[in-house]
Amino acid sequence: MDSNALRVTVEEKTFPAVEDRPEQVVLSAVDLNVEEGSFVVITGPSGCGKSTLLNIAAGLDEDYRGQVAFSQANAKLSFMFQTPRLLPWRTVAQNIRLVLDDDCPDGDKRVAAILDRVGLSEAATAYPERLSLGMQRRAALARAFVVEPDILLMDEPFVSLDDPSADSLRTLLIELWASKPTTVLFVTHDRTEAVMLATRLIRLGGKPAAIVQDTAIELSADERLDREKVLAYRMRLFDND
Amino acid sequence: MALENNTIRTGRVGRGITGKVLVGRLGWTVISFLTLLVLWAVVAAIMQSRLFPGPLEVGDKLLSEAASGELFYHVGLTLGRVAAAFIAAMAIGCAIGIALGRAKGADLFFDTWLIFFLNLPALVTIILCYVWFGLTETAAILAVAINKIPNVAVTVREGARSLSRDLNEMSEIYRFGFWKTLRHVTLPQLAPFFAAAARGGLALVWKIVLVVELLGRPNGVGEQLHIGFQLFDVSMILAYAIAFIVVVQVIELCVLQPLEARANRWRR
Repeated sequence: MDSNALRVTVEEKTFPAVEDRPEQVVLSAVDLNVEEGSFVVITGPSGCGKSTLLNIAAGLDEDYRGQVAFSQANAKLSFMFQTPRLLPWRTVAQNIRLVLDDDCPDGDKRVAAILDRVGLSEAATAYPERLSLGMQRRAALARAFVVEPDILLMDEPFVSLDDPSADSLRTLLIELWASKPTTVLFVTHDRTEAVMLATRLIRLGGKPAAIVQDTAIELSADERLDREKVLAYRMRLFDND
Repeated sequence: MALENNTIRTGRVGRGITGKVLVGRLGWTVISFLTLLVLWAVVAAIMQSRLFPGPLEVGDKLLSEAASGELFYHVGLTLGRVAAAFIAAMAIGCAIGIALGRAKGADLFFDTWLIFFLNLPALVTIILCYVWFGLTETAAILAVAINKIPNVAVTVREGARSLSRDLNEMSEIYRFGFWKTLRHVTLPQLAPFFAAAARGGLALVWKIVLVVELLGRPNGVGEQLHIGFQLFDVSMILAYAIAFIVVVQVIELCVLQPLEARANRWRR
């Protein structure tokens, strides 16, 4: 119990009725313990409430019955959203500097280091909208890591990218995570991506959604970068569908 | 397969049809301006009336008013009033606009008030301010500001309503706090609305200031126009009008446009 970084308990989460749609229970009896330093990936069909669960964990959605508990008082969070959500009127470097405290002593140095790490040094002074989506995502990833979070939440951060860009970002994420172990809660509907990244895979399903599968993924860092191994593992895991 | 001729598109560069090569933008402005001057001179020459002076007479008047210092005195005073009323209207209007855009209840309640003030004729505000507060500088500036505040509030309210929830969530997660959020997230989103309010505002304010001066101030461009009217001195009226147009254009070119360009430099 001590090694848990985060526990999310949702007794019930409902979306209120909107016009012709009746009230809808989205999540019910979800109890998720996230171990310190684990990479937990949540998958499930689209619209099943994965993102809602993540928003609840982040504190962005407070309209639910249940509770979120952190092992650490005042835990530092990062959130990488489906869209980069960079400030278009600030440069890439400014966007990343802003999430650090103004009086952070080595702030500029940390920004330069993380930009170098994600390969954006040359784009530091560019405005985000002048960059490709892939580069914007890199900047968002850099922003999420620069604060050295206790818990990193990621909501399908690599959707709508072409395969090579998405793959290079995933590789980058694995490297960043390996060099600076962080507790991660990652939402995706892409099962290959899930197997590639997760140390523990949670599947949501049913209506209202609950946890229907909870598996540890035992792959080494090298095996995760080997597409064949990942696909084979995925086949074994999801052989029923 | 051979490409047919009628499906070929050629880029414009190098074909000599961009227009810019012959006469630049500035050139067109000069040509257009000179044409207007000539047209004016011709009509004045045909009319031969003291009530329709030509550009030369008006230019003479402008120079003599400038030489005596009268022109700068009155234009300066009017500009000061414009600045005071403009700043007051922008500050108060923006505060009201942001508040109404963020708080739905307040918006529902105050919407009627806003519509009332939007439709209140400028002249009524001016007369009431002079009647209630006397023929003072404060009353004059207050009257102009009250005319402008509802327009600013309505424009900025639109902006405050459309603030991005996505970016708000981002600043919440990364604990930006109130001032950081205001400076880096909220105000930049409102900048285009401030610019629209400011641009429309300046045009409205300086016209109303002239009326306010005409009705109850012993100096300023409005008062000079009043004197010109009483003496049927059309040269003087046109001289002051032209001086003012020039000043407003200079402000537009040297202050507003650079500010706007700076605020928009991040756009694609």
